[in-house]
Amino acid sequence: MNEIILMLHVVFGIACMVAAVWLFVDVLHASEQNIARIRRVSLGAVLAMWTAFLVGGYFYVTAYKADKAIILAEKNKPWHFAHELVMETKEHLVIILLLLATYLPIVAANNLATSKDARKLMLWLTATIAVFALVMDGEGALIAMGVKMGLLAK
Amino acid sequence: MENSTVSKSSISFGLSLAVAAIVNAILTAVKEKSPAVMDGMKKLTGHHWITHTVTVLAVFVAFALVFGRMNGGQGMKVTIGGLLRTIVGGVVLAGLIIVGFYLFAD
Repeated sequence: MNEIILMLHVVFGIACMVAAVWLFVDVLHASEQNIARIRRVSLGAVLAMWTAFLVGGYFYVTAYKADKAIILAEKNKPWHFAHELVMETKEHLVIILLLLATYLPIVAANNLATSKDARKLMLWLTATIAVFALVMDGEGALIAMGVKMGLLAK
Repeated sequence: MENSTVSKSSISFGLSLAVAAIVNAILTAVKEKSPAVMDGMKKLTGHHWITHTVTVLAVFVAFALVFGRMNGGQGMKVTIGGLLRTIVGGVVLAGLIIVGFYLFAD
């Protein structure tokens, strides 16, 4: 069950990142024809992010302790950074990503077709979300590798 | 016709996002360095990270409401450039504080 929870965390996180990239491109061509879609995808992005956050948070609070012990085992010293640096930063940086994603539909509610400022804000926001989400995904991969290396270590 | 305005909510929540990001970073360092703060946060909700998240989200909403009520309810007056610099600057600074703390100070 924990493995399914972890995979759902990744799937929804990636969904948020894909939505952010989609939005960036859509906003570049914002018009009355695609405003409704931009707003729908913005809502989708924030729902995906909150789901990823809550699912990942549940795993972190209930099941990560076991993975942490594997990463921090004495025989796995070269990979201790996977928890001590990577996980510790990820669990706090992701809160910023949550704020950015939550802000998305608020900005999307502006008339992006007529407001140059709103489009500029939306472009910066979606780009920041996409980059941030990519960094979170990379950190997650490093943490998973830390667990794998801990299990393989002799 | 083009205009150059964003909503009051966009400005209020945008500024609040920068504040909440910095609070997030500072709270991270404070709780890691202070066992009393860490224990207190654990006791509040059962896990320090849950308390941390709820605190930052509360700051985000609270400051958005405060900023929205300024200037007689018209909200803060900032240019789009100023808003972007605040948001991006706040997020980048918060990220640097968090990563820097765990790299050098923890």
